[in-house]
Amino acid sequence: MAKDLRDLADEELMQLVRRGQAPAFEVVYERHASAAFSLAYRIVGTRNGAEDVSQEAFLNIWRSGARYDRARGSVRTWVLGIVHHRAIDYLRRATVHDKRRASDEGMDERFEAAERTDVEVARRDEAETVRSAIGTLPTEQSQVIELAYFGGFTHTEIAEMLETPVGTIKGRMRLGLKKMRDQLSGGAVTR
Amino acid sequence: MQSAGPGHEHWEDATAAYLLGALDDAERAGFEEHLAGCPACRAEVDELLPAARALPISVDPVEPPPALKARIMADVEREASLLAAAGPEADRPAAPARRRLRLPSLRLAPVAVAAALLLVGAAIGIGVTELRSGPDRTIQAEMESGAGTERANAELEINGDEARLVARGLPAPPSGRVYQVWLKRDGHAPEPTAALFRPSRDGTASASVPGSLEGVDQVMVTDEPDGGSPQPTGDLLLVANLS
Repeated sequence: MAKDLRDLADEELMQLVRRGQAPAFEVVYERHASAAFSLAYRIVGTRNGAEDVSQEAFLNIWRSGARYDRARGSVRTWVLGIVHHRAIDYLRRATVHDKRRASDEGMDERFEAAERTDVEVARRDEAETVRSAIGTLPTEQSQVIELAYFGGFTHTEIAEMLETPVGTIKGRMRLGLKKMRDQLSGGAVTR
Repeated sequence: MQSAGPGHEHWEDATAAYLLGALDDAERAGFEEHLAGCPACRAEVDELLPAARALPISVDPVEPPPALKARIMADVEREASLLAAAGPEADRPAAPARRRLRLPSLRLAPVAVAAALLLVGAAIGIGVTELRSGPDRTIQAEMESGAGTERANAELEINGDEARLVARGLPAPPSGRVYQVWLKRDGHAPEPTAALFRPSRDGTASASVPGSLEGVDQVMVTDEPDGGSPQPTGDLLLVANLS
């Protein structure tokens, strides 16, 4: 692969992807596959499921590159948004809420990405910052955020599960995100 | 304080649920319609968006298997070839929509055009290889007899310096293993390639064969542990004889 492609910013690569250039897409994949697969795995809970979701998401990205709008955020944000959407769809299609858990496959199926570059180290720091921000939330707020974002449950389902009024659940989500935003304000992770 | 749009009382507490993906499809569509006309809700979406966007960053890292990239890139490269064969017409955006209409969906991505061509080709019974100019040379691979290969067949398509293995009816590799492509030159041990793949659920597979085929007598496929092997360790699946 030409070295100069690796020197391009994500947004420049996406212009080439839009024109159907597979090598540019390959660089985009290499930059974001780990984060995408990690998110998919966190949501669907199995490696096979995470592979299916990641494959669907990246092929969607390849085929719909023209829909990327840099004014609405970074390529990474866009990619992870698509992965999240596909993963939740996967959960709802399969209705595997009750059987999907990482423990399905055992902890030996989980292995950490090798730290390869300064970028990887910086991303781990970002992850720790976000985890800390989530950790500052009252349990009732972090719980509904986790169930919704990573569990794929709707607010109605969460309300039934926790035997709590829907309005209260939505209020907890709102308060939780506001508090997280305050914790993260000034950070670079939320571009 | 931003002004509220029509129906704001109904939607004002849905912003966070929307950003977390916790609305069902009908609610999400309703909220998005409301959002378009409600500055107050848009302001709250903007306010909470950084927190929602940070959530995926918090997950523990898990590396994808190399075979995933091989599968994705096989599809991408096939469609890129189709796109190239479709010529500059495919690269030209559709006529611009009338000013102020702003219909981004009318601007078809060229890759989508290629994908559509693929579908049209399938619908009228034209194979992919007939949509482009066709390979310079096609070699029928010999399948190894064994469980699951009775209905399998594979061809090696050679176009100039590039080669691609296209297979149908393949069995899935054993659990935790992946198919790996090898290049065999006379008098030398099989040379590993980075071409790792798993067939789709319907048994189809397509893999680019990296590297030069100069002096290569056979292209072979074996099953190997996830991530591939430096030398063959698994069962032979197929062989394409070039000489």
